[in-house]
Formats: sequence, structure tokens, C-alpha cells
Amino acid sequence: MARPGAVIEVDRNTPPVLFHFGEGVRLEKLPLGARIVYPPDPLEPIAHPERAIKRALAKPLEDDPLKSLLRRGMKLTIAFDDLSLPLPPMAAPDVRQLVMEEVIDMAAEAGVEDIHLIAALGLHRRMTADEIRHIVGDRIFSTFWPDRLYQHDGEDPEANVYIGKTAEGEDVTLHKRAAESDLVVYVNLTLVPMDGGHKSMSTGLATYRGIRAHHNVKTLLASRSYMNPPDSALHHSCIRQGQLIEDTVRVFHIETTVNNHAFPAIANFMQKRETDWTPRDQAMFLGMKQFTDLAPPAFKRNVFHAMRAPYGLTGVHAGQVDAVHEKTLEAVRNQISVRVEGQTDIVTLGVPYLGPYNVNAPMNPVLVVCMGIGYLFNFYRSKPVLRKGGVLILTHPCRYEFDAVQHPSYIDFYDEVLADTTDPMEIEAKYELRFAEDPWFRQLYRKSHAYHGAHPFYAWYWAAHAIDHAGDIIIVGGERDVVHRLGFKCATTLEDAFEMAEQTVGRYPSVTHLRMPPIMLCDVE
Amino acid sequence: MPWYSGERGLTQLTGTIGAAVNDVRRVRRAWHWDTPRPHTWPAQGEVVPERASDLGWARQEPVRTIRFLIQHGLLLPFTKAMAHPKVEGREWVRELERPVIFAANHSSHADTSLILYALTDRARERTVVAAAADYWFKRPLLGNIVSLFLNTFPFSRTGGAQAQLHSSSQLLKSGWNLVLFPEGSRSIDGRIQEFKAGVGHLANETGTPVVPVHIRGAFRIMPKGQKFPVPGPARVRIGKPMAPQPAEGSRQFTARVEGAVRALADEPSQPDIQGTWIERWRALKPREPKYGE
Repeated sequence: MARPGAVIEVDRNTPPVLFHFGEGVRLEKLPLGARIVYPPDPLEPIAHPERAIKRALAKPLEDDPLKSLLRRGMKLTIAFDDLSLPLPPMAAPDVRQLVMEEVIDMAAEAGVEDIHLIAALGLHRRMTADEIRHIVGDRIFSTFWPDRLYQHDGEDPEANVYIGKTAEGEDVTLHKRAAESDLVVYVNLTLVPMDGGHKSMSTGLATYRGIRAHHNVKTLLASRSYMNPPDSALHHSCIRQGQLIEDTVRVFHIETTVNNHAFPAIANFMQKRETDWTPRDQAMFLGMKQFTDLAPPAFKRNVFHAMRAPYGLTGVHAGQVDAVHEKTLEAVRNQISVRVEGQTDIVTLGVPYLGPYNVNAPMNPVLVVCMGIGYLFNFYRSKPVLRKGGVLILTHPCRYEFDAVQHPSYIDFYDEVLADTTDPMEIEAKYELRFAEDPWFRQLYRKSHAYHGAHPFYAWYWAAHAIDHAGDIIIVGGERDVVHRLGFKCATTLEDAFEMAEQTVGRYPSVTHLRMPPIMLCDVE
Repeated sequence: MPWYSGERGLTQLTGTIGAAVNDVRRVRRAWHWDTPRPHTWPAQGEVVPERASDLGWARQEPVRTIRFLIQHGLLLPFTKAMAHPKVEGREWVRELERPVIFAANHSSHADTSLILYALTDRARERTVVAAAADYWFKRPLLGNIVSLFLNTFPFSRTGGAQAQLHSSSQLLKSGWNLVLFPEGSRSIDGRIQEFKAGVGHLANETGTPVVPVHIRGAFRIMPKGQKFPVPGPARVRIGKPMAPQPAEGSRQFTARVEGAVRALADEPSQPDIQGTWIERWRALKPREPKYGE
């Protein structure tokens, strides 16, 4: 039986705690009385995933069995999530591969000749052929790539259609092939509560016009938090768009959930609480610490990005989107929820080497903000762990390094936009449209492997709520110039950061460290 | 060199070896070891051609293991580095239940390496390549080395149908797949030439299916007359196996195979030749492990 998450108070016997530090790790001693929040242990995975998938497709929730929906002569489209999920990428076979193979087997049996598979990228970068092969597996890749297995292009006017407007005036667009299909099967992998449900179709297969309807500062400021869909304006908007899409095309949703076994054997100590570290874990930590201290960044990055997570399937649900997503969220919460009592003056977080937008690339400063201040801060329900006006302390080297292939618009965003202002509202009004419509960024998004021109703006908006909520944000170990450009404070050590924080929150503050990843959702009472 | 000459040790040894090498060279030159036997010799002029050596040693252990190591350590990495071959239709050669003939267009010496690269390990291990007897085997040493690397066997281009059938059908019957270039020789300009009827004849006589293969890009890597390869992209497209129809003559079947190879050269995928997605999906079904494996 997996242990639930825990909140531990630091006393004299508490060992130092692990802080992720980009492509490195640190052990830090927290002040006496500080709290450390640990995620639950990984749940036991389903022993026979194939059988569970077959069962889910045969007995879907509030929908007909998939087999009865497939017929000769129909147009079938299978859409699936891209490589931004799960993190780190899952060790083969990916659960999406197992689900899609089952669906395709059924389609072959029914004699469906017109079948297409689309990677639902939204405005993310195009994946390389090898990255797609890793997600879908050899058999699907060999059969369908590149004619019938391809990637969504949100900037291709020929390949997208305008569906209409929601009651709130949000534009809805969809990939043309999906819109013209008799049936769309959406295969999703939900790692955090933000993903899945109506959001899959309404962002994954949409254009900039559709996505900007909810990826904006106003909506994100009204999402408390976007990791908790019932309180998220972002999700309400996606639901409205999704309902319009469901009126246009028949969609059969398949959602899968995995446990939080995020690190392979070589980095198993990251998965464990420090009090559970065996001599082997301690040796592994020491080995990794020395390696990450000495090795050149590019080499470290290759080693870290080659890690594959041994995630195990914990649930698979199919059928009507709302019924499916409710079950999915329940399964996700079972895995990642931790009860935390009350808010705190200071929250500390270690920012890891990987976020959704830097798979096989360095985490640039804008993405550090997106990951630490955007995603990790927002893993809460009801209210943030940090009190309003409190101090958020992050650890990350925060270097000026960008991947010119994947993140060209991020470079301009950092150099031009952040030099002018860091205020999300002002940035949105002044710069977003220019970047989104820039022909060169558009070309790189469509033909190379670059994120869309508007993507760095969204990465920054994710952090809008935390920037608004926190009294101060300090990055420990970051490059001073870079951290100042981001609009935050820089500290050399954690002790210095606490000293600086006391100037904002007063003497003897309460401190909480969120020991992520593996990810968790703090249920704050 | 006489023993009393006063030179001893390494100098004497070098001298002795040098003398022996000179002797061998002299005999080689005198008896024309490196030139083919003239066609005018009576043994070559027989109506029933001489039973050619089919290089059986190259298909036996431990040569097969040595070849496996050479191919995986040298040939395939080199091919990958030079051409980054894109292979389509590998599913058709994944699980071959019976031997097949691979019929490919021929524009370069790189063709053979590209075909072997495109095959799965299981198929490659059981594949022999028909190499022109009058080109590759006129120098026995060269022929044997090529055979060690690529598992070639001498294929007569001049001896008529009987000569072709003789060794090829034996190989097919003993479970070997056969790579044939039905054009007969390398294309001068890279375009596909007319197929010779031998492939249809062989398939008809032995009842063997033919797998059409089209290779694009090999001509740029090493065209006829060029001694060394240059890097360039290549694509190998494999079609689904074709069996001769009951009333189909050798020439008609050859024409059909030629048509298939030409169709594979076209840019869009060819479901008629490459198979519909359902056929390909079924061909890729994971193999059920058999008892004893």
C-alpha cells in the first residue's frame, strides 16, 4: 500500500532536504520548525494494461462501445497528446501507444480505410520523427508515418476551420481533418489536473485565434488555480469551446492516468523522502552531485534528458468527455493530493531541469519562470500554500542560455520585451500580437521545430497569478543579471534568501518547502 | 641468399621472405592468375555450361557469424553514415514464411548495401545476392571477399535461362532469399532500364513470390564509373510480395514486377504496391513466440 503524502516538521534530527537545481541537485538545511511537504508514494500500477484498455473501450462511460462506432467507409481521426506529457518522457511503451494500437486494431477489424493520426500540438513545437516514434511505437510509426500520421499545424490556413463563437464570445477553431471526420478518438495522458477533458481538443487542435481566447492574462489571473479545474477560468473557457466542438464532430475520449514514479533507478533517491534514504541512495546522491558539479552543462543535459520515467498506468477511462474526465481527475488526485494545514510566509521550491516546453533543450530563463513561478506554485487547491504578500524562494542556476531551434521567439522575448517591462498586462497589450504574427516565427513554427511566436508570452502569463500574489520572489543561485531582467531578486545561498525574505515578511517567518518533483497537489485548508 | 654470406637474423629472414614473394609474383604474372580464362577455351564453349562454383562456403558457419559481425560492425554503420537511408515497407520482410526474390532497380554499387540495410536482421541473415559472374568473379579473390561481406553468389548473365535457374533455384529451394537486379547491369543515367525476363522465369519455375524494391538516391552516391562513394540521402521502398498468376507467362510477370518497381519510384505512397494500411498493420503484428524459442 502506497503511503499518502506527508507534511513533516523540521527538528534537530531531520536530515537536510533535497533541492532540485536545474541540471543539478543541492542538499539544504531548513530552519527548525519549517515544514517539508512530500508527495504520496507511487500507487500500484495496473498489472495488465492491455486488458484494462480493452475493458475501457468495450464498456465506455456514457457512450457506446468503440467497436459499434466504427464502420467501413467512415472517416476516422485519432488525435493524441504531444511530448510535453508526461515528464520526464515515459519509458517505452508509452500508454498512448498501447491505447492507439488497440483502437487501430478495432478499426482494421471493422475495415475502416480512411484513418489519420494527428499529434495535437496546439502551438507547441513540431516533434522530430524519433520523438513521435517514441510516443506511438514502432508498429504505428511504420504503418502510418508520414502520410497518415502527422502533426497539427495551427498556422496552416488550409488545414484549419473556424467553428464559431461561444456564448462568452470565444472563437473556436479546429483542425480541418478532425472537423470533417465521422469520429475523432482523442487519446490523452493526464499527469496533472490541468490536462485532459475539453482542454485537449480546444487547445491541441486549435489555432492561435482559438487558443488566445483563454491563454490570456485576465483569464489566468482569474484561475485560482489552473491546476484545479472547478476554480479555473481557463478551464471554464475550454469547456465552452469544447462543447461547441462536440456539437460539430463526434468525439470519443480516452484518458489515461499514470502514477508519480518519475525517476528511473539511477535517480531513485529523488523519488524518496530523505528520511528513507538508504546508504545506496546516499551514495547515488553523492555520485550525482559530484557529476553535476563537474560535468559541462551540455553533457549533463544529455544525460538528464536521456532519462525515461518508469511510470505505471493507474487508470484508463473512455467515453463521453465529462464523465471520463471526472474519473480521470479522481484518479489523478488520488495520486498527487496532499493535505496541508494553513498558509505560510515563505515557500521554497527547487526548480528541476525539465518542464513541459524544454524536452531535449535547456530550460531558458523564461521557462524557469514558467516552471517555478507558473506551474509549481499553482499546484494547490482552494488557496495557495504561500500567503498573500509572502516570499517565494526558488533554486535554479538561471543562466542566459536558449535553444535557438526550439525557442527563437523566447530569445527576442527576453532581449526585447523583458528589457522594457515585466508586467504581464502591459506585455500582452504591447507585444503579443506582433510576435504571434511575425512571419519568421510563423515559418519556424510550421517548418522547423520551434514554438509559436506567442508561446513565450503564455509561458510568462502562467506566472501572472504568482507574481501578483507573492510579495517577493527570490532565485537562489541564479545569474544576477538574468534574475534582475526577470524582475526578481537574486541570492547566493538559501540562508541569504531567508535573510532577504525577512525584510518582507518580518522576523521568524513560517517556512514551507514543497519537495517537488514528483509532483503533488497541495490541498490547503 | 647463401648461409655463409655473413648476414644473420632479421636481415636474413627479410631476405628469404622477399625472395619467396618475388617467386610467387613471377609465377602469378606468368600464368595470368588475375585475368579471366579466355572464352575461346573449349570448356567455356560447351552447350551445357560448366557447373559454376556457388560459393557454398560463404553460407556456412563460421562464415555466417563472421559476416554478421562484419555487416553490423562495418557495412551497416557505413551505409547509415553515407546515406541515412529512409526505409519504407520493412513490414513486408519482417516475417517471411518462405523465400522470396527481391527485385530492385540497379544504378549503383551502393544498391546492395542499401537493400541489406533495409532488411530486418532475420531476413538479411537468409539472403543471398546475385552478383554478375563475369564482373565480380573474374577475379576469384575479389569475388570471395565480396561474398564474405555481402553473401553474393555468381549469377551468369550470358549462359541463358538454364544457367540462371541452376544455382538460383537451388538456393531458393534451400530457404535463401535472393536479391536480383533484373535490369542486368547498372543504369548509366540513373533511370530504370527494361527488366530482363529472367526474374519472371525464375519466379514462375520455382513458384517464389517477388518483392519489388525501389532504391532512390544510390545513383548520386556512386554512379557507374565512379570509384569512391560520396555521401547523399537515399530511400528504399519495399512493396508487398507479388506472386505469379496461374496463367501468367514469365514475360508478363516480369512486366508486372517492372511496373511495380516503377510505381514505387513515384513520390506519393502507392497503396496498390505497398499495401493498404490494414494489410501493413497486420503484417506488423508482433510475432507470437513459438514453443522452444
